[in-house]
Amino acid sequence: MDRQQEFVLRTVEERDIRFIRLWFTDVLGVLKSVAVAPAELESAFTEGIGFDGSSIQGYTRVVESDMIAKPDPTTFQILPWRGETHGTARMFCDILTPDGEHSLADTRNVLKRTLARASDMGFTFYTHPEVEFYLFESLRTDGPPVPVDQAGYFDHVARGNAHDFRRAAITMLESMGISVEFSHHEAGPGQNEIDLRYADALTTADNLMTFRSVVKEVALEQGVFASFMPKPLSDQPGSGMHSHLSLFEGDRNAFHEPGAQYELSKTARQFMAGLLHHAAEITAVTNQYVNSYKRLWGGQEAPSFVCWGHNNRSALARVPMYKPGKGVSSRIEFRAVDSAANPYLAYAVLLAAGLAGIENEYELPEPTEDVVWDLTASERKALGIKPLPQSLAEAIDIMESSELVAETLGEHVFDYFLKNKKQEWAEYRAQVTQFELKRFLPVL
Amino acid sequence: MSLGSGSRSGGGRSTSVVGQLSRLGFGDATRAARLLADPALAPFVDGAPASFYEALGYAADPDLAVLQILRLAETVGGQDAATLRRLIHADDGESRRGQDRLIAVLGASVALGDEIISNPERIQILADLLPGIGVPEADVRAELLHAVGADPEADVPVASLGGDDGADAMRRAYRARLLRIGASDVTASDPLACLPAVAAALADLASAALEAALAVARADVEGHEAVRIAVLGMGKTGGRELNYVSDVDVIYVVEPADGFDEDRALTVGTHLATHLAHACAGTTSEPPLWPVDAALRPEGKQGPLVRTLASHVAYYERWAKTWEFQALLKARPVAGDRALGTAYRDAVEPFIWHAVTRENFVEDCQAMRRRVENNVPAAEAERQIKLGKGGLRDVEFTVQLLQLVHGRADVFIRSRQTLTALADLSAGGYVGREHARRLAECYSFLRAAEHRIQMSRMQRTHLMPTRVEDQRALARSLGMRSGGAEALMERWRATRREVRALHEEIYYRPLLPAMAELSDDEMRLAPEAVKARFAAIGYRDPAGAMRHVTALTDGLSRRASIQRQLLPVMLGWFATGADPDAGLLAFRTLSEELGATPWYLKLLRDSGTAAERLALLLANSRYAAEAFTRTPEAVRWLADDAELQPRGAERLSNETDAILRRAEDPDRAITLVRAVRRRELGRTAAGELLGVLDPVAAARAISDAADPAIAGALRVSEHLAKVERGYDPTHDGPARMLVVAMGRLGGQEMGYGSDADVLFVYEPTDGTDDPAAQKYATSVATSLQKFLSSMSPEPALPVDADLRPEGRNGPLARSLASYGEYYGRWSSSWESQALLRARIVAGDLDDLGRRFVDLIDPLRYPGGGVPASTVREIRRIKARVEAERLPRGVEPARHLKLGRGGVSDVEWTVQLLQLQHAHDVPAMQTTGTIEALRAATDAGLVERDDAEILADAWHLASRLRSAVVLLTGRTGGRNADLLPHDRQSLTGLARIIDLDGSGADLEELYLRTTRRARAVVERMFYGDED
Repeated sequence: MDRQQEFVLRTVEERDIRFIRLWFTDVLGVLKSVAVAPAELESAFTEGIGFDGSSIQGYTRVVESDMIAKPDPTTFQILPWRGETHGTARMFCDILTPDGEHSLADTRNVLKRTLARASDMGFTFYTHPEVEFYLFESLRTDGPPVPVDQAGYFDHVARGNAHDFRRAAITMLESMGISVEFSHHEAGPGQNEIDLRYADALTTADNLMTFRSVVKEVALEQGVFASFMPKPLSDQPGSGMHSHLSLFEGDRNAFHEPGAQYELSKTARQFMAGLLHHAAEITAVTNQYVNSYKRLWGGQEAPSFVCWGHNNRSALARVPMYKPGKGVSSRIEFRAVDSAANPYLAYAVLLAAGLAGIENEYELPEPTEDVVWDLTASERKALGIKPLPQSLAEAIDIMESSELVAETLGEHVFDYFLKNKKQEWAEYRAQVTQFELKRFLPVL
Repeated sequence: MSLGSGSRSGGGRSTSVVGQLSRLGFGDATRAARLLADPALAPFVDGAPASFYEALGYAADPDLAVLQILRLAETVGGQDAATLRRLIHADDGESRRGQDRLIAVLGASVALGDEIISNPERIQILADLLPGIGVPEADVRAELLHAVGADPEADVPVASLGGDDGADAMRRAYRARLLRIGASDVTASDPLACLPAVAAALADLASAALEAALAVARADVEGHEAVRIAVLGMGKTGGRELNYVSDVDVIYVVEPADGFDEDRALTVGTHLATHLAHACAGTTSEPPLWPVDAALRPEGKQGPLVRTLASHVAYYERWAKTWEFQALLKARPVAGDRALGTAYRDAVEPFIWHAVTRENFVEDCQAMRRRVENNVPAAEAERQIKLGKGGLRDVEFTVQLLQLVHGRADVFIRSRQTLTALADLSAGGYVGREHARRLAECYSFLRAAEHRIQMSRMQRTHLMPTRVEDQRALARSLGMRSGGAEALMERWRATRREVRALHEEIYYRPLLPAMAELSDDEMRLAPEAVKARFAAIGYRDPAGAMRHVTALTDGLSRRASIQRQLLPVMLGWFATGADPDAGLLAFRTLSEELGATPWYLKLLRDSGTAAERLALLLANSRYAAEAFTRTPEAVRWLADDAELQPRGAERLSNETDAILRRAEDPDRAITLVRAVRRRELGRTAAGELLGVLDPVAAARAISDAADPAIAGALRVSEHLAKVERGYDPTHDGPARMLVVAMGRLGGQEMGYGSDADVLFVYEPTDGTDDPAAQKYATSVATSLQKFLSSMSPEPALPVDADLRPEGRNGPLARSLASYGEYYGRWSSSWESQALLRARIVAGDLDDLGRRFVDLIDPLRYPGGGVPASTVREIRRIKARVEAERLPRGVEPARHLKLGRGGVSDVEWTVQLLQLQHAHDVPAMQTTGTIEALRAATDAGLVERDDAEILADAWHLASRLRSAVVLLTGRTGGRNADLLPHDRQSLTGLARIIDLDGSGADLEELYLRTTRRARAVVERMFYGDED
């Protein structure tokens, strides 16, 4: 029993915690939870909690359904929304096989493995996500959902639901040790953005899982419904999760080089070259649902084309405004990821793509100054700007022949992910949509 | 006796001087006499007493000593000259001791001598007789701090001399004290006994140097008050057992001083650490001391140079690897803020003692051990004192492993110093007293030798000198005066052997239950400690292991006593295998079966390799374990590589011939024929597992063992059928027979569990009508099948004729004419494809066989290839096979034979190419898959990259099919062709196919290799060109 575990046990006792939720994530990024009583906690630390993995998406094959969730005591956190006195707490788990090895299906471990690769190269990977989501009046699926307000970008809505909502959500996040950088009303009606403070990628991914729960929970308390669906309203902007990425060598930002163009080091340029080079291959992971492609190709600021720019809000990768001399903040913003991605897998493939750029010393193409959407197809062709996949089917197809993604996810997750997504595509394609009925039924 | 004036007189005197010098121990006495007669020396040696010359002769290297004295005499002046003269003319006890120190230092170390010559005032250090060892650490620290003008009493000593001046002052003080240590060392009466004190003095001096360097750094770094910094000594510095020349390993930990923030503390701390390293190792006017190496810090060279305590702890909690904890075992505060250093030590301590419970402790330890043994350049292997088997590292590893295993429960064995830890382990009952004493002696000898070698030129070397003169000097400096170089080298080799043996003895011997009748010194390890030790090397069931060991060694029989000799080391070997528990159990079974056989235990005890190989086989392969219990004489093969080579088809066929010629009873004859195959399967398994045989050769050997078994069974069957029908068994019966091998047997690519696919062909002899011949042939074929597959202690070879025309509905045997007619009228594409693997194997090969081949060649190698309709047909059949043949509930990716990118994917692809092109490319007319693929590649029909991907997948899948049998011992069943899911089996398979990685790596490798192969198959076989 190490100190951290002892700390958890002591806190559980002192704070009169009645249940501890053990959290883990399935392959698609959906949070799963097992509750244990404090009395079971000690054995959960030493032996883990057994569960039947065959019923979890992508976890395992029927033959070896026994899996073990082993809580990571460093992630212990009291859940503020379950009442103050008889509290509930949560910990993230590593998923192990009965032999005590990491399960191949544990996406948290996919990220850990990739981080370890970076660490072998001397890097720590930091991310800073800007999460967008919608607040709707209620959950309804029979027609377009109704946003809680009609405000726009940065609008302050007096006594607006959204304002209260963000305040409550942020208070709750902060009380759980998750620092919030920034929050504001986004462009769409009812759309909000909350930015998490930068942290190492594993912490960020854990935080994102918590964040989604908190947002959903607060929404419920306030009688509204929150959704991270990439494109819930066809005529309004989608919800992305622009992610700022940086590599650190020890305490030094490896992306920073004073005096270089945009103060961007060679490492940063190669990392970005890697992101762009592999962007199409990893899209199925960063944008994993059929709905994701409606955001990706929804115009406006959507990053549909593989290019980069300094402060170019139409580029896939963006080098944000830098403050000269503020070396720590050098970073690259990758704009394709949406709010419904599995953050563990998404950050793993982004990191792997960037590392591939460094390892193979890719050349970074010229930056794009223009708004890519305004260029003609031929102009884009002349500039060598390629599109991202236009549909889940195309993304799957490209990913299927990607050695980079296979290696990063591991063969098991890779295989499962492809199967699951092919299935989703097949089911989606089988639909006869409102669009078709409206357009074709009368005339055909 | 006075030699001084000798050379000035006549030649005879001079010769006698040379003779005297020679007797005193000079190597080149003529040269020594000339040097002694040098006029520059005269003022010092004129009238010197005989004891001076005797002292010179007593030096480690008298010739060197004399040369250095002369050089010193040429430079020395003033008071130092007087001192030199006084020491040479020593006439009282004190000056005689000074003389000893001077001559011993000059004769042992070129480097120390050169230093005195360039700084003659240092002769006073030799003359003042102050000790270099056994000095309190605080005094040494104060001495070096004073040298840089810092106050040793201050909480935070800051030098008054900064920059290079400070560094130089520190370095001069360091070197003066180093000379003092060297003088005490080389004049010690027992160089081995004083070793710990010397090593401690060197470590204290290094610590003091770090402290003084830090004081200099503080003088240079503005705002140093912002940070509290502690320097932790690691490695030999931390263990307080440093040698003369070595990197000094450190870790820095910093905390903000009161009123300062952390960022500031980290920045200033980094500056201080950098300046400290510069003061020790940077270029200034004094030569540098040693590199300050901070590579053991978290994240190694990639990590920040300094961290806060919390940051260290966070790293060790999350990221650190087992070897880092082993390294932490040595961490000790040596300079800077003591309270902080101690806090660090307290914080990391729990990590060290819980390392043994970490998931990968066993694997990590094995890896560390391999690093110890293998990291030696071949050219140096025979000269290395530190690395390699039996080197210093080996001793340290043994001690540290025991500390990690038992230190968790016992706080009294946690010393950082190797020799102290060893003594503690002995006192605690973890190492026998005698073993501990011997290991300590080995360690002291190796360390003392290392010290002397390094001291000679103050170079960081761990290599035995090669020149006999240097070896002689080394021997003398270690007090081995009479034996000289030869005795030294012999003792060194003996020490290495002993270290090796002691590791096995110390770690494994106590795992054997103690016996009352053994000597008193035999220690008794508590059962809990025995279990911890078994578990730490990978036994899953320590209690079971203890039972097996007890059973094997119980009693006073000769057997038990040989087992007591054998087992300790074998327990170690089992532990390197996939399943140590199974290995030990199998060894117990085998030993119980063979114990009474006179040669068995003797062979294991006396052969250099047999026991190790047996342990490896038993722990890695159930198939081999069973084969060896069934074929006990197989143990003999292990001592001889030639015995592990396949016998070859011809020898086996001759052996079978001989068996059949002398056989009287058919059942008995078949049993013997089948026994030959069983023996060869065992031999092949052993050869493959031990890496004597590559997988392709093994598959060939398995096929070669099947061929004579089939031929033998055919002969016996024909014999019986003829006798039954009243024919003369030595002449033709109603028909002549031919057996055609198909499938993997045809391709000579069999695995341990493969069936024999065959076709039976006959031709009626003259005057026999076809129905009679057919009946005869069928009965021969039936009897052959029965003979080879009937229940028997010998392994069955199921003979499968399902590939014949019309399959199971067709007659078992057909005449050649009937084959001709059938193939002419009905033949389908899959039959042509199957015939690609046809190889005539037994019966009338010369005539009937040749004609059969002539019959089928146009079918399998059709001129102009095959029509598009056939290609389509083959693709469709394959697609259907994929859908239907896979057992239900099996993941396609994991089926080694029929799965995605598995054996059959590759074979169908190659076979389709053969049907299309083998007529035009004769090299493709072969039954071997890989041969055909290679020929197709050479002919430009397959891209090289694609061919490589296909061959990789085929080889890996085939090897794994064999490996599954070897691992599990099961030749059939539902899981025989499946890549297992459980990690233990996967790890076992990884070891069998000699993959340098874990089971999880193997799984990834297989899935990746076959995924790629499948992509090629879809393109090449299904014509799915993008």
